Amino acid sequence: MVDHTVKAYDKELDTLERRIAEMGGIAEKMVVDAMDALSQADLTLAHQVVATDPRLDALQREIEEHAVLTIARRQPMAVDLREIIGAIRVAGDLERVGDLAKNIARRSMKIGLEARVPRAIIGLKHMNEVATELMKDVLDAYAQRDVDRARAVWARDAELDALEDSVFRDLLTHMMEDPRNISFCAHLLFCSKNIERIGDHATNIAETVFYLVTGSTLPSERPKGGPEYDADMTGTDRQ
Amino acid sequence: MNGPTTNPTRNGKEKVSVRDLNFYYGAGHALKGITLPLYERQVTAFIGPSGCGKSTLLRVLNRMYDLYPGQRAEGEVLLDGENILAPDLDLNLLRARVGMVFQKPTPFPMSIYDNIAFGVRLYEKLPKSEMDGRVESVLRRSALWSEVKDKLHASGLSLSGGQQQRLCIARTVAIQPEVILFDEPCSALDPISTAKVEELMDELSAEYTLAIVTHSMQQAARVSQFTAFMYLGEMVEFDETSKVFTSPRDKRTQDYITGRFG
Repeated sequence: MVDHTVKAYDKELDTLERRIAEMGGIAEKMVVDAMDALSQADLTLAHQVVATDPRLDALQREIEEHAVLTIARRQPMAVDLREIIGAIRVAGDLERVGDLAKNIARRSMKIGLEARVPRAIIGLKHMNEVATELMKDVLDAYAQRDVDRARAVWARDAELDALEDSVFRDLLTHMMEDPRNISFCAHLLFCSKNIERIGDHATNIAETVFYLVTGSTLPSERPKGGPEYDADMTGTDRQ
Repeated sequence: MNGPTTNPTRNGKEKVSVRDLNFYYGAGHALKGITLPLYERQVTAFIGPSGCGKSTLLRVLNRMYDLYPGQRAEGEVLLDGENILAPDLDLNLLRARVGMVFQKPTPFPMSIYDNIAFGVRLYEKLPKSEMDGRVESVLRRSALWSEVKDKLHASGLSLSGGQQQRLCIARTVAIQPEVILFDEPCSALDPISTAKVEELMDELSAEYTLAIVTHSMQQAARVSQFTAFMYLGEMVEFDETSKVFTSPRDKRTQDYITGRFG
């Protein structure tokens, strides 16, 4: 892309992009660490994840303020406008990803020492690996303005939805086998929901990248995971 | 300043159709094969760097160029299907149908009342009471009435720049044209006067077909439903304004509206 006649404008856009990259790095690490904390019952790591979150919040606020200022100052048009709106959206998604990772870390503090059915965590770990990959891919797609890669993330989220479904069934089985597992597995259910939500945010970012580059939007319906999957479902209140 | 209230519609009638228009200043080729529509009761904005031909195009639409020797236009400009470039066309009638507002306010050196009545008298014989009514109604439409109603017989030149420009718009509207052309109407006005002119354009577009040349991209985005980007005498892109300013098709359009030109 050719530079702006006003160089300070380019600098402002660069700053936004760098902050997003920073947020992306932090959010990605939080997601990985939260799952490690959970699977290894590592309380120190869990505390670290929780302690990182304010940094992400601060960055998001900074990005928003910077974007608002740039809009006021430059009245951006076309690709610049999409770029700035995109930065605001992506920052919002990354901030939420941080919150979800923080929730997983918090839960791991609660259940850490009473891991009753360790094998129940295997499915979750797998989910988290997929979510982490989606995050990584979508952040690369954002950095490189790579529409194909964004679209691939967008399509792959269905995989995560399907995994969530099987984790759900798995946990249900453990709970039915032994009621003493219920509390532990209920926590894990929330964690799986959180991971699934992280995938949704990766999808949002993919949609933003697509919009940013092309100026048009991806279809509102994306491929769905398991047959029981319900997009509006929150927590564990499944019918 | 509510922005365009009407939805852009390509199904609308083409009030003006410019077809393969070429324009020459002597040997200089200023417009190169321009084709575009002006849809009825829509605002069309012309944008582009200085010298791209947008003002020239505007001046062709009411044959203002006829006033200057050595300038000629080739191609077709249809107003309701009639070619206004035809040599036997009645220019006075054309300019009554296609009014123009200029960059610098140009009130006549006469009273506010006469500034408006003068043009009307050229085309219509109205009794005094009807003329009074016409003057009042166009001044009201131009949002100028409350500011001038007590000094209708003061000179038009005594008004502020913004008021003068609205007086010129009122004068243009008074002869009930069908198309109104604005050539950078706000470039000499403060933001408040600019907002008033834009509000006025928005209202006028309910009845008239408007075209505006502006150097302010934001203004084009605010007031128009369609935008034409011109460069070096060519029409690079013509599309709905919402499209042009969010995701233009042509790279040159994008570079221009985002401030990345040369």
